[in-house]
Amino acid sequence: MWKVCKYTLLDLARNRFAIGYALLLLVTSSGLFMLEADDTKALITLSQVVLALTPLLALVFTIIWHFNQLEFTVLLAVQPLRRESILRAQYIAVSTALSGSFVLGVGLPVLAWAPGPVAWTLLLTGIGLTLVFCALGLWIAVWQRDRAKAVGIGLVTWVGLVLLYDTLLLWIMFTFSDRPIEPLIVPLAALNPIDLSRIIIMLRIDLAALLGYTGAVYERFFGSIGGAAVSATALALWMAIPFLLATRSFVRKDL
Amino acid sequence: MDRVVLDGLSKRYGRLWALRDVRARFAPGETVMVIGPNGSGKSTLIRCMLGLVHPTEGGISINGCEVGRDPSYRAGIGYMPQFAEFPRELTVEQLLRMMSDIRGSRSGAMDDRLISQLGMDALLDKRIGSLSGGMRQKVSAVLAFRYRPDLLVLDEPTAGLDPVSAGKLLDAAMRAKRDGATVLITSHIMEEVERLGDRVAYLEDGRLRFVLPPELILEATGERTLSQALPAYLSKKHRSHVEGL
Repeated sequence: MWKVCKYTLLDLARNRFAIGYALLLLVTSSGLFMLEADDTKALITLSQVVLALTPLLALVFTIIWHFNQLEFTVLLAVQPLRRESILRAQYIAVSTALSGSFVLGVGLPVLAWAPGPVAWTLLLTGIGLTLVFCALGLWIAVWQRDRAKAVGIGLVTWVGLVLLYDTLLLWIMFTFSDRPIEPLIVPLAALNPIDLSRIIIMLRIDLAALLGYTGAVYERFFGSIGGAAVSATALALWMAIPFLLATRSFVRKDL
Repeated sequence: MDRVVLDGLSKRYGRLWALRDVRARFAPGETVMVIGPNGSGKSTLIRCMLGLVHPTEGGISINGCEVGRDPSYRAGIGYMPQFAEFPRELTVEQLLRMMSDIRGSRSGAMDDRLISQLGMDALLDKRIGSLSGGMRQKVSAVLAFRYRPDLLVLDEPTAGLDPVSAGKLLDAAMRAKRDGATVLITSHIMEEVERLGDRVAYLEDGRLRFVLPPELILEATGERTLSQALPAYLSKKHRSHVEGL
């Protein structure tokens, strides 16, 4: 597995998209810190960019990359290798390459301009989101045979998690505003990796106070050690379940 | 012992049977040309043997090992697909090293003659993304032959190759056969089929219609070339004259 991973990473290290992604993030992050005098404000804006852009690019890149590599993946499947190992190696390589781009593009400027716990939280949640959405992208690409349909499903997934899910949560909160539904919102937010990451960052920046009672509920739950463990477990499950489903499909699939 | 045994192999995609009850045995040191019209099941047959496609019914054994989830039997297989794609940012040399690393101990007895025969020496440090389609086919050929496979599967190997390289590739296939490999080649070029094949396996609508030496088909029809003999042979009047149907 590590041999396939090593050479795939070597290929991805020179991949124009991965390099372009790192440069785009680097220019955006540096630009925000240069234009905004208040580093906290710059971090808040950057976290919004990261929460929207990182899942989208990880998802779409993984799908397109999988389809571009399909003929070579078939050739690998003819070698004395287990299919599980091939997919695992490819997942590790793609997610490492994109995480590397993220660390270069966001991590370096953030640690240079605003080092501290918030910077590290942003960095770790960004990497977490990359791992989650690479796994989701891989699952979609393995399960769907048609490239265009797979990209379409990827985009719908992203829109669903970035926009529709939040809209649904807001609708629930407004509709049932006369009832104490905040405890219900916590597990619902944890079901969406982007929302979960947003809450984790928000709590670090200390913006929860602006959200009133909901913020207090978030703070009480996610601010505790148990809440942190639940967040980490939820993100890990978001990564593990799609990857396991992708592996199952790939092993059974006719190539 | 037979190198490849196809035992009642069937494959269904939805309602379409791509292969139906295919039974055949291929021996070491034999070249079998797999032919048939488009959509006859040639690719599915090859992909089943390579473990890429899971049969609906029946089984395949290669070197006595059942083709299934254990991938170790594939160490003895060399495969050249019709269209080869490789990681574009790797150099040819890195790709060769990658495959050797994957093969591990079996890469000890490598055959690199084809690298120089196909003029690949000067391309080793080139990025694969900078190579033409024909050049990538040559890389694919080198990989298929490199580990001295027991079973060599070549899917339309000369498509996209210049005539000189195509000749050298087929010479290498014959050399592998003389060394004891079973060589399976799909081709639509009847001259190749006639010249190289010890036997011709003809597939139609997913069924294996016959596996016969080309001379026998020529003899049965009285035609001089296989391209003329095959349609005649497939018509009913000749079928009864030849054994092996």
